[in-house]
Amino acid sequence: MTLKTVNLSATTLRLLAIVLLLLVIVGIFSYLEPRYASYGNFSAITRHMAANGLAALGLTFVVVVRRFDLSFPGIATFAAVTIGYMIANGYPLWLAIATGMVAAVPIGLLNGWAIGMRGLPDIVVTIGSGSIAAGMAFLYSGGQTIFQNFMTSGILDLNDTKILKINISFYLLVTAYAIAGMVLHRSTAGIGFYATGENETSAYYSGIRTKRYVLAAFGISIFTAVLAVILLIASSGNASTNHGATLLMPAYAGVYLGAALLGGASVPATFVGTLVITILLDGFSLLGVPYYYSDGVVSTILLFGVIAFNERVRHIARHLVFKNFRKGAQA
Amino acid sequence: MRAVLASEQASTPALLLSWVARWSLMITLLLNIAAFSWVAPQMLEPGNLATILRSAAIMGIMVLGLTWINAAGKLDVSFMQVAALANMVAAALVEIGSGWTLAVLGALASGALVGAINGWLIGVLRLSPLITTISTGGICGSVAAAIGKGTSIRISDAGPLGDLLAISFGPVPLIAVLVGVLYVIAWWCQEHFTMGRYLYALAQNEEAVLEAGVPTDRLVLVLYTFTGIFCAGAGVLLAVSLSSGQPMIGASYFIDGLTAVLVGAMMIRIGQPNVIGTATGIVLLATLVSGGALLGWPDYQRDILKGALLVGGVAFTVWIARRTPAQRR
Repeated sequence: MTLKTVNLSATTLRLLAIVLLLLVIVGIFSYLEPRYASYGNFSAITRHMAANGLAALGLTFVVVVRRFDLSFPGIATFAAVTIGYMIANGYPLWLAIATGMVAAVPIGLLNGWAIGMRGLPDIVVTIGSGSIAAGMAFLYSGGQTIFQNFMTSGILDLNDTKILKINISFYLLVTAYAIAGMVLHRSTAGIGFYATGENETSAYYSGIRTKRYVLAAFGISIFTAVLAVILLIASSGNASTNHGATLLMPAYAGVYLGAALLGGASVPATFVGTLVITILLDGFSLLGVPYYYSDGVVSTILLFGVIAFNERVRHIARHLVFKNFRKGAQA
Repeated sequence: MRAVLASEQASTPALLLSWVARWSLMITLLLNIAAFSWVAPQMLEPGNLATILRSAAIMGIMVLGLTWINAAGKLDVSFMQVAALANMVAAALVEIGSGWTLAVLGALASGALVGAINGWLIGVLRLSPLITTISTGGICGSVAAAIGKGTSIRISDAGPLGDLLAISFGPVPLIAVLVGVLYVIAWWCQEHFTMGRYLYALAQNEEAVLEAGVPTDRLVLVLYTFTGIFCAGAGVLLAVSLSSGQPMIGASYFIDGLTAVLVGAMMIRIGQPNVIGTATGIVLLATLVSGGALLGWPDYQRDILKGALLVGGVAFTVWIARRTPAQRR
């Protein structure tokens, strides 16, 4: 038998594997639940993916500079209630959203300043600032859900409007990913982000302003988290003090699963990771799996992601495969 | 050499500053108690003191292991969900009539299992402690909710542990005395066993400790298993004191536990979490919660205050640690 060598790059193989994985998941769900393969469901998937994907996108920058951000759920909650408060008081939508941004993004920059410039520990600072922001979210209404004027303000259009039968939120997601992809993978700034993450000291002495990249990463993380929470309040039609909390797990799982699938944290990796998680979560909720299992599912995916992303584990796995391969060759 | 000379020549104000820095947490605690007692004299009533000490004791059990994990430069954010899991396991076992002994053992075993998995993933596979414990915590929370099918489980008979929690010598509950003794023993172990030195060395340079012949993977494994068991113990006590299993129990303990441990690092061993510092941090938070409740502060104000305390405490620790020469830390 003649052996034909097919030249497939590693990236192409990975992409093929991912497409196969997605097809298998969608196939299984469609088999179990006929409603799965419907326009309504795929439309719902793009909507859910928009919110999770935006939160994960900003987090990608933080993970690329090898830091952690645990504050974005709390700060996004604060932004959500701020925007809700503005809408309830009759301010125009654009002003409400701008105010939400102005209220939230500086907290992220403050995180970045404390961590990047002052060298404070990232996890502790972001847990603290997230907790403060989540507490501040109660200042407006004492924890009551805000829904006044939501119907007339136009914020619901962010959820309902469709262009060419696709939700407008999905266009927002794709645009944000395209911009982030250009910054992180097609610009000198992107090299700065990656260099800061790889080796901060040598990047610093190569003339890269590492501290500013850390600062920027934490700012971007909050910026996209606020975009995500705007979509969440648009879809629920109200703003409450637990709106941001649901962003944490899917965002981390998206970034790390993507990194595991594509061999490193990047914008396309996060896109793929979020897509897989959203499809899984949507499928489970369609099958009527109780809500409390979904956190467990996302956590399991996240754990799988970090284990597969881990270089030590990969090394051991490669070693095992190689040894067996040689054994097979000898036999 | 220059550092030694500097410390010999240290002026009186500098020494005073370093003394104040070292004991700032204790001073804060005393000021806090004094201020609350002045504004709300009910604070010092025996019943209220007993409540403060009882909640501090349960908190103390939950974060003892966490202190050492943080001292070793690792992190565990799954502790409250482990407590919630143990809490639900105990409640479910009691309600199907297994008796308290089996329920407690089952709960502790579940904690040990999760702790060992955490320890194995972090110590042996060297995964990121944050991400690993976020995901194992998520799984534990999910399982805890699944045990009660999304709601809490009522316990009709609190059993012998209920009697134990009820014993009180005046304003001091027995459980607080026991936890106090536990902390003294833990302090002694931390200062006198090589384990203590390994812990702090691990935070400095894990590779170096490994090269020096210390089995760091096993140390981390034991540390997380130990933490899992203690969190489970706290979860069981919470089930007893609330007479129910609550799957969402941990939320308020998360920020409190981390704050107590990290603010505790402001004391004695500056920049390094330690047992006595943690104990002080716990009592500080417990008085803050109790005093705030007496003054009618809503929950969210206390959350803001705790977050500020956490960030402020860590900023202060980093600042002091940079000012103080390494030899004297």
